[in-house]
Amino acid sequence: MIGTSARRVGGVERVTGRQRFTGDVRLAGMLHVKLVTLDCARARIAAVDTGAASGVPGVRAILTAADLPRPIPRYGPTYRDRPVLAVGETKFHGEPVAAVVAETEEAAEEAAGLVRVACEELPAVLTVASALDPSAPLVQDPELRPDDLLGRTNIRREWHFGWGDVAAAGADCVVDEVYTFPMVTHFAIEPHAFIAAPDRDGLIIWSSIQHPYLLQAAIAEVVGLPLSKVRVFAPDPGGAFGGKQHAKFEPLLAFLALRTGRPVRLALTLEETFQAVRRSAFEIRVRSGFRSDGTIAFHDTECNALMGAYADIAPRVIAKSGYLICGPYRVPDARIVVRALLSHTTPATAFRGFGTPQVAWAIESQMDEAARRLGVDRLEIRLKNLARRGDEVVPGDRPADGDWAEAVSRAAAAIGWGSPLALGRGRGIAVAIKASATTGASYAIVRLHHDGSVTVMAGTSDMGQGARTVLAQVAGQELGVPLERIAIVMGDTGSVPFDLQTSASRSTVFMGTAVLNACREVRRQLAEIARELFGLAEGEVVVEPGIVRAPGLELRYEELLAQAWGPVRGELIGTGVRRGEHVPAHPLGGPPAFYEFNCTAVELEVDRETGEMLVLRHVSVADVGRALNPAHVEVQDEGAAVMGLGHTLMEHLLLDEHGRIRNLGALDYRIPTTKDLPLELRSLLVENGDGPGPYGAKGAGEGGLLAVAPAVASAVAEATGAVIRDLPLTPERVWQAVEALGRGGRPDPPAA
Amino acid sequence: MHGFAFVAPTAQAEVTGLLEEHGSEARLLAGGTDLVVGLRTGAIRPRVVVDLKRVAELRPGLSDAGGRLAISATTPLSRVVRDGRVRQWFPALAEAAATVGSIQIRNRATLAGNICNASPAADTVPALLVYGAEVVIAGRAGERRLPLDRFLLGPRRTALGRDELVTSIELARPGAGTFAAFGRLTRRRGVDLATISVCCSVDAAGVTRFAFGAVAPTPFLVADESGVLADPDADPETKDRVLAELTGLARPISDVRGSREYRQAMLMVVSRRLLRSVVDGRGKG
Ligand SMILES: Cc1cc2nc3c(=O)[nH]c(=O)nc-3n(C[C@H](O)[C@H](O)[C@H](O)COP(=O)(O)OP(=O)(O)OC[C@H]3O[C@@H](n4cnc5c(N)ncnc54)[C@H](O)[C@@H]3O)c2cc1C
Repeated sequence: MIGTSARRVGGVERVTGRQRFTGDVRLAGMLHVKLVTLDCARARIAAVDTGAASGVPGVRAILTAADLPRPIPRYGPTYRDRPVLAVGETKFHGEPVAAVVAETEEAAEEAAGLVRVACEELPAVLTVASALDPSAPLVQDPELRPDDLLGRTNIRREWHFGWGDVAAAGADCVVDEVYTFPMVTHFAIEPHAFIAAPDRDGLIIWSSIQHPYLLQAAIAEVVGLPLSKVRVFAPDPGGAFGGKQHAKFEPLLAFLALRTGRPVRLALTLEETFQAVRRSAFEIRVRSGFRSDGTIAFHDTECNALMGAYADIAPRVIAKSGYLICGPYRVPDARIVVRALLSHTTPATAFRGFGTPQVAWAIESQMDEAARRLGVDRLEIRLKNLARRGDEVVPGDRPADGDWAEAVSRAAAAIGWGSPLALGRGRGIAVAIKASATTGASYAIVRLHHDGSVTVMAGTSDMGQGARTVLAQVAGQELGVPLERIAIVMGDTGSVPFDLQTSASRSTVFMGTAVLNACREVRRQLAEIARELFGLAEGEVVVEPGIVRAPGLELRYEELLAQAWGPVRGELIGTGVRRGEHVPAHPLGGPPAFYEFNCTAVELEVDRETGEMLVLRHVSVADVGRALNPAHVEVQDEGAAVMGLGHTLMEHLLLDEHGRIRNLGALDYRIPTTKDLPLELRSLLVENGDGPGPYGAKGAGEGGLLAVAPAVASAVAEATGAVIRDLPLTPERVWQAVEALGRGGRPDPPAA
Repeated sequence: MHGFAFVAPTAQAEVTGLLEEHGSEARLLAGGTDLVVGLRTGAIRPRVVVDLKRVAELRPGLSDAGGRLAISATTPLSRVVRDGRVRQWFPALAEAAATVGSIQIRNRATLAGNICNASPAADTVPALLVYGAEVVIAGRAGERRLPLDRFLLGPRRTALGRDELVTSIELARPGAGTFAAFGRLTRRRGVDLATISVCCSVDAAGVTRFAFGAVAPTPFLVADESGVLADPDADPETKDRVLAELTGLARPISDVRGSREYRQAMLMVVSRRLLRSVVDGRGKG
């Protein structure tokens, strides 16, 4: 069962449109919500006139900040900085000033358009440069962080990591460059949807959320209820990618439900999701020293990450990626300065890769630049510096936990590294590691029914990554039950035990282990029953998957239970836990449970006259420890690779001077389609059984997008001679770079 | 989406009657692939939407008579692309129509809708201009015809009067020895709007025509009557000079799809490539 490509649980429902998403839930008496927003990022709100809007037939309530408790309730996973509705001033384009509740979506929309907001547009902070400018307006009120020395700046937090002494480190070659990675949006195919409903003395929330238990806690806190009185239903999301980790508009809906006494529903449009979640933009300066043979001497880095108006989980993303910016290499000396900057833009949050694509873009491009300057092969320079198993990548932290060089060699072989290239073509190779979950707790319940079938209760969200399938496979393996006889119950905080979150490629390792432990607990109980029933001694009973054995005895689980319990029946309940405790002394609160390592190699062709690129071959090699379901791991890796091509080649949110997104929507925000795929896309897995998860598994599913951008840019540089340090590599940008090399002469291709 | 009345008349006279009654408050619906987007975003807020697909006189189809091909206003682009006469006589139109959106879009979208929407980037317009398409218009007073370049007045503006609709688009079969091709540049390969589009034709007399899209308020037509461009032996620099003059008539803007400079440069690149393929094709006969 483990190691087989079992069919996806719920896959048919997903592709036939039969899956019930949050947006499909209809409750009796449900009202509909539309947000009232302004036409710019930042404005002072003078007055809100709801007169005309209230007159629209079907309107039941219009909530403004004035209707909320004082001080205004705030929420957020890092800081409680986000108000339920804008107070006094909007901080980003799309921030709601009011919410209209009506009997129909149409009435709510019409009325929202009739709410008159008297306001005055104010200058907005939209870029890294303006966020760092001491004379720029403050995005957040310093009163929100009175004891913070940075309170009167737009630097929400600054970290200093590093080791050794960069100032004293000598080098034969110093590469000093700046790299930018723009804002991009998640573009989950299912837009966020939320429902809140009063439930006697509590609340029920439906949300397309990755972390139902953190949402439960956020709602309980913001409305002042015990956890037991807030129940969250989390139907499987239709894609999340980090954009559905934490509370978005659920707190607002909770207040609306309490106020109207009825269920209220808000389903965002695609455009509204662009204004609700995005990835942090980064500007990274790296000064790197190398020995003449390509050995890294030091990295001296400064990462300025542009978050939005509220922190959400972005500071964690920014700290974690900065901490590991040096990548999977042995780096003797490092200085790392990281800043999380506030701006008047969409709040940035987690995004598949959790900051690693941004930092890998910079560091891997530095490796290429050094290779070119030193005349060292780009593959060679990586292999030379790559940490081998047991080598430290950050001194004192978890050492390299895989055979990473094996992955690199396989990628190089698969792309034909070193073989002759046709004119106009180039190859690139890049590596990256992402630190997995550091801390966290996952609880699972496994119920063995008296007919031998099994129900697994796990708080993981299956957002398309296949968690249901892999958890069923673990239970099936441990209890010897075919998948058709296993049910997986998820997405209900009222019945399923606690799981901290579904993120950081952690579920197979964390929840998988919890399920495994719960199954082993069931097996322990079976042994006890057999011993009691047959009067056997400890050690005489062996419980194997599906079978209980003792001298002269071989019973299937259900046969044993039938003999033990007769007509009264019953069930066995096993609980399992996997915890990673908080380590206060660790800069990130704990070492990662494992590293997700990826090597990506591409071969592409550039049309020098138009800047258009065609990726001919794309190879992604992931070190997954053990693929519990190889087909699922591959499609996750391929999906990540394609998503990586999106931010590499075409995705970016463009703002106008008012802070509005100019390419707001599917028409002008481009993500790859099936026609934009590489002509050949291969995902290879390294399986050495060396992960901390069940059967030696590591997490997977983010790796494929970590190293795409530097690999592609490296190939473009080889094909054209043009080195580009800003993403995305649109045809126009490539064309500009090629043009800039000089019209007449074709420059020599880079040396290595 | 705001509320509106929906009418699906069966006679053309009802359509013109409704148009006269409601004027700009009424909107015609063909495939809806532009209209519904506008309704959703609130860019247009008509009181009445009039569906053309039930109108007896406007049944979908292509018909030819006397060397002219007529494409009725409700004909989806997928049918235009498939039609043997279009492929043989107007290959550049088939190529252009085949780039519009996706299969799903082309199964709904009409040729008439593409021109009536009057987008500077409408992909079929450069080809229709090169082939000298005529727009057949019906109103309360009867029928009239306009060459396409006089029908298109500017972004989202056509020469249609208050009570008028387009009933068909007509194309005269080009003389023997005419070769044409269509090309465009997009930001990605799947479903995208053109950054620039170009249609190029060379006729038997050696006149080269270009129509450029997405580089001016409306797609527009230019011609080289000197024969230089059509001459396979003319020297590339002279050709480039002529091409630069023609493409220099474009007035591209900078927007999210591309900068003015990029559009201008790409117009030249794509025109040069298309010209080469058309002249080569002509050489092979
Ligand atoms: C995802 C997507 C991708 C697209 N890609 C492209 C593309 O690549 N290239 C491109 O050029 N376009 C593209 N479009 C735009 C659109 O599909 C085309 O313009 C299409 O040809 C419009 O035809 P329709 O029949 O759908 O028009 P409708 O939406 O029905 O109508 C468009 C406009 O024309 C008016 N109208 C329609 N028929 C008549 C008539 N007979 N008389 C008078 N007025 C009329 C309508 O009132 C409306 O104002 C795309 C649209 C979408 C949604």
